[in-house]
Amino acid sequence: MPSTRDIRRRIKSVKNTRQITKAMELVAASKMKKAQQAALAGRPYTQLMASMLATLAHRVEESQHPFLAERPVRTRGILLVTTDKGLCGPLNANLFKLVTDIKTPVKFYVVGRKGAQFISRTKRDMVADFPVSDRVAFTEVKVAAEFMVKHFLEGIIDTIEVIYPRFRNTLVQEPTVRPVLPLANLQEFVAHVKADAGHSQTGTRASDTRELLFEPNAQEVLEALLPFYVNRHLYQLVLSAKASEHSARMVAMKTAKDNATKLLGDLTLEYNKARQAAITQEILEIAASSFAA
Amino acid sequence: MPLTLEIVTPEAKVYSDTIDSVVIPTMEGEVGILPGHIPLLTKVANGELRVTKGAQTLHLAVGGGFAEIDGDKVSVLAERAITEEQIDEKAVEDAMKRAEQSMRDAKDMDPNEFEHLQSMVRFAGVQLAVKRRRR
Repeated sequence: MPSTRDIRRRIKSVKNTRQITKAMELVAASKMKKAQQAALAGRPYTQLMASMLATLAHRVEESQHPFLAERPVRTRGILLVTTDKGLCGPLNANLFKLVTDIKTPVKFYVVGRKGAQFISRTKRDMVADFPVSDRVAFTEVKVAAEFMVKHFLEGIIDTIEVIYPRFRNTLVQEPTVRPVLPLANLQEFVAHVKADAGHSQTGTRASDTRELLFEPNAQEVLEALLPFYVNRHLYQLVLSAKASEHSARMVAMKTAKDNATKLLGDLTLEYNKARQAAITQEILEIAASSFAA
Repeated sequence: MPLTLEIVTPEAKVYSDTIDSVVIPTMEGEVGILPGHIPLLTKVANGELRVTKGAQTLHLAVGGGFAEIDGDKVSVLAERAITEEQIDEKAVEDAMKRAEQSMRDAKDMDPNEFEHLQSMVRFAGVQLAVKRRRR
């Protein structure tokens, strides 16, 4: 049986741990609220853009823009969106599982320090990593997006995909592989975006059947809309990943705090038992010695 | 038959209502939309967007984006949008000065940052124009 002093020491250390995890939980909770708001606020915008693209998709040929044309995939380009810090439960580990499942040639572009560490540790092909701040600004993601698009157009990579923790709600984050380019299957993509926003119906909306007019012309609209869409879409995914990160961290910290509280109860009980046993022992000894005298 | 108009920015849904007509600033000049307009997809320029509903006319400043007219649905996807009442002339002027100042000060600024500031200044100009239109 451990001495009372040992138990007291452990109680103290567990108390400290609880205090830290509690503080981290509160911090994560407030960050989570902001991140979730940002992720949700952007959704109508992305959704509207998706439905514009869908209208477009009926009317233009694949060959009109390199983003629309499907080509043989030699090297996939994947943007891996992870966190900078740990202590967020299995969030990153789940993403890495997806990464290890990929057997085809692939080049990685990474957001977040954890991902960069993982990719270089496992000696995968990492092209670049992009730091983003806690409150992600559009310009930060734009740099990454434009870099990938450049490689895509140069033929260094043949697809642009994103691996990220999709934010469902505070408790559920799904590790997801989301294809972004080429936009070969726009309908499917629009359904994805709508599902994200909580719309389950994928049916075609009441659409005008008259011919669509482009101003100034189709080519120019396409050229402006498509790169813009890629940037925006990637930004939205990173926002979603941030919301996931803070949610996961909050949940992990809450569990840690609850565990510490439970452990503290057990330890206190043990401590009291040990103390009582020591007192009883002492009384017995005194009584025994007085009898002997 | 009324039109439904939706103006969405990355931050929020700015406007959503049924209206009689709308004038959208585009790259090729202003486009007036009435019910029964032909389907159209166009680039939106920085400028003033006018919404008419009954006897009322609402003015908004919009900055860059796209607009789609599909049947009786008009969707405007703008990088920025603000209604006239929400424009705070003083704040806009200050922001404009600050942005211009930092553009002058920083010699070798990150091009992305520079671009961002430039578009901010442009939009500030649009906001002021919309606000001062009547005077």
